[in-house]
Amino acid sequence: MATAFKAFLNSPVGPKTTHFWGPVSNWGFILAGMADMNKPPELISGSMTAVMCVYSGLFMRFSWVVNPRNYFLLATHASNESVQLYQLSRYVKAQGYLEKKEPEAQQ
Amino acid sequence: MATSKIQAFLNHPAGPKTIHFWAPTFKWGISIANIADFAKPPEKISYPQQVAVTATGVIWSRYSMVITPRNLNLFAVNVAMAGTGLYQLSRKIRKDYFSDEKEAVPSLEG
Repeated sequence: MATAFKAFLNSPVGPKTTHFWGPVSNWGFILAGMADMNKPPELISGSMTAVMCVYSGLFMRFSWVVNPRNYFLLATHASNESVQLYQLSRYVKAQGYLEKKEPEAQQ
Repeated sequence: MATSKIQAFLNHPAGPKTIHFWAPTFKWGISIANIADFAKPPEKISYPQQVAVTATGVIWSRYSMVITPRNLNLFAVNVAMAGTGLYQLSRKIRKDYFSDEKEAVPSLEG
């Protein structure tokens, strides 16, 4: 156990390196998204949420091919992708884009 | 002459045929979306989201300068994120705490 923990501490993508703390800051997006999940969907910014979905998709690929491979960054962006897609679905439903009846009733 | 420079750029290992180019480039979208949201009323700004944008921008700005090689595109995009995030936060804080004294508690405590 102790040696595994030491291996983590000294890893090339571990907490002594920048490769670790950058993704840590990115967890802010996920926590913010989770905090916003219960708020009314009228408060969601559609443009920001859509941008986040593309951004996390791109960075999942980036984290896989970068050297050294950064699984922590991959997990971070996979989580953000899920949260942002959920928020985007709430936004889209609230805006009525998926409804077929009475299109003039919206905006 | 010009075409070979363009070709050198296009075929660079961190060039536009690779994710190393597009991922940081697309990150500009976050700041652009934030600038578009400058026009929205402060009631619609999310404190947790803008704190996350600002904190990410500040931390990645520092780290983009200490990695090898330094990535000035990544530095610039994160400075922009920190800037737009701080501005959005200032708009919301001003609305919630420094205006409309006669109104009841700000929306946070609702």
